[in-house]
Amino acid sequence: MMDPVIEIEETAAAFIKQQGGVVTVRLSPRHGCCGGTARIAIAETSTPKEISTFACHQSEEVTLWIAPELAQQGLRLRVEGWWKLKRLFVDGAALASGHADTQQH
Amino acid sequence: MSHQEKAAPSSADMGLFERYLSLWVAAAIVAGISLGQWAPAVPEALSRFEYAQVSIPIAVLIWAMIFPMMAQIDFSAIAGVRRQPKGLAITTTVNWLIKPFTMFGLAWLFFMVIFKPWIPDALASQYLAGAILLGAAPCTAMVFVWSYLTRGDAAYTLVQVALNDLIMLFAFAPIVVLLLGISNIQVPWDTVLLSVVLYIVIPLAAGYFTRKILIAKRGAQWYDNVFMKRIGPITPIGLIITLVLLFAFQGDVILNNPLHIVLIAIPLILQTFLIFFIAYGWAKAWRVPHNIAAPGAMIGASNFFELAVAAAIALFGLQSGAALATVVGVLVEVPLMLALVRIANNTRQHFPTHA
Repeated sequence: MMDPVIEIEETAAAFIKQQGGVVTVRLSPRHGCCGGTARIAIAETSTPKEISTFACHQSEEVTLWIAPELAQQGLRLRVEGWWKLKRLFVDGAALASGHADTQQH
Repeated sequence: MSHQEKAAPSSADMGLFERYLSLWVAAAIVAGISLGQWAPAVPEALSRFEYAQVSIPIAVLIWAMIFPMMAQIDFSAIAGVRRQPKGLAITTTVNWLIKPFTMFGLAWLFFMVIFKPWIPDALASQYLAGAILLGAAPCTAMVFVWSYLTRGDAAYTLVQVALNDLIMLFAFAPIVVLLLGISNIQVPWDTVLLSVVLYIVIPLAAGYFTRKILIAKRGAQWYDNVFMKRIGPITPIGLIITLVLLFAFQGDVILNNPLHIVLIAIPLILQTFLIFFIAYGWAKAWRVPHNIAAPGAMIGASNFFELAVAAAIALFGLQSGAALATVVGVLVEVPLMLALVRIANNTRQHFPTHA
């Protein structure tokens, strides 16, 4: 059986709906002080600027924009924190190469 | 194959610059010494630009090194502190309650006792001070690369960096003052606080507000893919220029005592392995998953050496032995950490895959 694009926990889905019903899952670069870059999977409740580089999936009241390399990787979207510090995070993701062309996914 | 089960990336994934950092640092040492010997007017002229005993060119270079690192810290990740309590308990305890003191102990043993025949007392105290500064600040940016190379958990790595940087804001100065005091190295509190304000508080606040304002104005993707891409490489460039300048002032010390670099490196190397094995072994005993244990052990083994170099220069001056000791930390950093990456990847099977 094929993995789902990304699993969205119930609490995360509720949070996304509360924030407008859109979520973007993408890789965000982090630069090392001695050079080098690694990329971290992150989730944001907004629509991406350049939608052409994302795959779009619609389920119930949630519109999901996801970077193709993060789809069907057994990842989970979860919510953590409390009150104003609530945020989404991508559970189960390892860091990715900083070079898009040498990605391990 | 799932995301977590894939083979670990190799150091070949690192760029040319970071893989051969030791070579560039060595080249910076040679370039700096040459500059100091053949064109002494250059460092002399630069040293005249001072305000309140702070060298302006050096301060600018240090900000250039530290600001890009601070601008990428996502403090909202702190919300995840309850998610991996074991991993965070280990890394926080090792980084703040063990690492500074083992570094002090090892440096004292080597510089004040074992190497006593080769290092004059005054210089030994300076090297001890430099080691204390290195031990008081865990890695803040390179840990993302080490975490990537060991297939560490991305979300956990974000949380531990944000948490350690917050602790550093309050713990760096007291630890440094305490350990320097024990070593009979007198440094006025206000000088330590000034260096904390200049090289932690200001870049941290500037980074935080830059991130917040630019993301609100231009969006997170633009911030990551355009802004950070532009300013990210400033850190290593600033590092190399700072080292050239520093060694332009250090030329005589190095030329008179070339063996000292090796002697300084010995306790620093031992400390790196010791801290890694304490955190990694503790994680194994607590059955922490490998993708948490590896980045948890890497952050303490690696140092925030830009801060250590900055504090050493601010507290003891560009020509000080303390500044030299912190630079030796930079010299050995990448080969040592790549060795630890290899150890972590080869021992993955001894850890659980999931919590």
